[in-house]
Amino acid sequence: MVNYGVNDELSLETKGTTNQKVIVAILLLIPMVVFAATPIYNFNGPQLLGLSFYYWFETLWLVISAIFYLGAAYMLNKMESGKA
Amino acid sequence: MNNLEVFIVFISLFVLFVALGFSGSRFRKGDMSDLGEWAIAGRRLGGYLAWFLVGGDLYTAYTFIAIPNALFVKGAIYFFAVPYVGITFGVAMLTMPRLWKIAKEKNYVTAVDMVQDKFNSKSLAALIALTGIVAELPYIALQIYGMQAVLTVMIGQLVTVDAATITEIALIISFIILAAFTFTSGLRGAAVTAVMKDVIIFVTVIVVIVVVPMAIGGFGHAFSSMKALPTGNETLAPLFLNGFISLVIMSALALYLYPHAINAVLGTSSTKRIRYSTALLPIYGVGLALLALFGILAYGSTSTLAMISKYGPVTTVPSLIYNYFPSWFVGFAFLGIFIGGLVPASIMAISQANLLTRNVIKPYKKNMTPQQETRYAKYFSVIFKFIALLFIFVISATYSLQLQLLGGVIVLQTLPAIFIALFSNKLEKWSTGVGWAAGMFTGIYLLLAANDFNSITTVLFKFSTPLSFLYVGLIGLVVNLVIAVIGSLLVGAFRGTSSKKAAKVEQ
Repeated sequence: MVNYGVNDELSLETKGTTNQKVIVAILLLIPMVVFAATPIYNFNGPQLLGLSFYYWFETLWLVISAIFYLGAAYMLNKMESGKA
Repeated sequence: MNNLEVFIVFISLFVLFVALGFSGSRFRKGDMSDLGEWAIAGRRLGGYLAWFLVGGDLYTAYTFIAIPNALFVKGAIYFFAVPYVGITFGVAMLTMPRLWKIAKEKNYVTAVDMVQDKFNSKSLAALIALTGIVAELPYIALQIYGMQAVLTVMIGQLVTVDAATITEIALIISFIILAAFTFTSGLRGAAVTAVMKDVIIFVTVIVVIVVVPMAIGGFGHAFSSMKALPTGNETLAPLFLNGFISLVIMSALALYLYPHAINAVLGTSSTKRIRYSTALLPIYGVGLALLALFGILAYGSTSTLAMISKYGPVTTVPSLIYNYFPSWFVGFAFLGIFIGGLVPASIMAISQANLLTRNVIKPYKKNMTPQQETRYAKYFSVIFKFIALLFIFVISATYSLQLQLLGGVIVLQTLPAIFIALFSNKLEKWSTGVGWAAGMFTGIYLLLAANDFNSITTVLFKFSTPLSFLYVGLIGLVVNLVIAVIGSLLVGAFRGTSSKKAAKVEQ
């Protein structure tokens, strides 16, 4: 394909090994896929404090996704500093 | 309930807020007639304040007013805000550190600076800037609705004129306060008051989500007292599955295309800080999820339902708070919701004005003095708020959430020029421009068609099965992307290798 860009970025290549990149990709993708796969949580039961599964599962995953994202952030920051 | 006490607490805290806003303009003193000072606080905001700006953006009238309102009226589909928040920070982790680095390397202040350089086109840059500016307008209108909702309940309970008059008065007051505040304080004032806003809001959210469900007798009671809502009560009605998923993914892609969001990211001091604070932001979203559920809890409280039928569903959260707390706390919480609309609206208006002077006017009018630039930006920020008011006539308060989703349809059309250009040089400027136009036309046309060309009550277009309902923003973006990509390939095939040579010569 043709490159239309006037200025190609110079120092933006992500450092780090392929393994590290795969782990980061997985850490970021898991929460995104879970949230987008609505049929896996569109149920009434089991309920929690009178709340249907649909509502509490999505809310709980906000916390779980933060843990996944923190892991990814940690890896990316480490890769950026070049301390692989 | 002592309505006078509510009013006094609200006003006292508001005076404090205004004082803070004005002292904010003197905070780490800078020359306020300079655009850099007014619009991006001279880029001297520490990481801490910048973090407040990004995180605080989550708690706006969208959270307190629009989402609970939509859930109350239409049901389960509007819980889409929760997975949307969950995904959008993943998107931000992938895109924002890269944008920050490019911006730092090339000394960019807005994302449109990058568009101008990448595509080497002033007109495409101006087009993308104007798109961002227009997309912010309905979002600002939503904030004004939020401010109005609080005032409607508060004034309505205090005096006994008819509700319609009160609502109008409340709207005018909200608008004047917003315009005056933005004009005088700039981003510096907004950043300083954002801290006060977040403290009040955190206290309110935590207290309210503990007390109200217990007082009402839990969600079980609320669910059992509910009538059947159009998109489902306990779960999402299967008919709306595609609508839900398209709202989730498109909103997640849209958030970090908004000028105010990018503004806040570019103000942060390092990529490492961007990653860590972004990773933690979904936890902020838990409050949003619980506030959304107030749209359901309201059904468990007859006194709240009576109030909502008097002042409209846009007052779902204020009505619940009013019915379950002592006067002083109601005043405190109402102020939180009020400035929760005011501060973000101000930040949005500043990012619009900044974008207009920097990326639309300046490239064509190079001999502007810095003082002129700032004067333009300040006056434009007022004009934009007047235009934002127009959206209030197109979309009624009951469907206030549709304002934000309309903004989404518009801002999504900048995705190829901003997000794709961030990672690739393969898009060509004419194809990107035509893709933008086609996407914008398709999105807006389907939006109007979905509402039978009347005032807007939905952003979902009904296709025949199996697609059923889809968010019009998705369709617009698909049309846009297809044209931009195919166009770039065709132009590339025609020009062959000559464009590579041309690119080298231009450099």
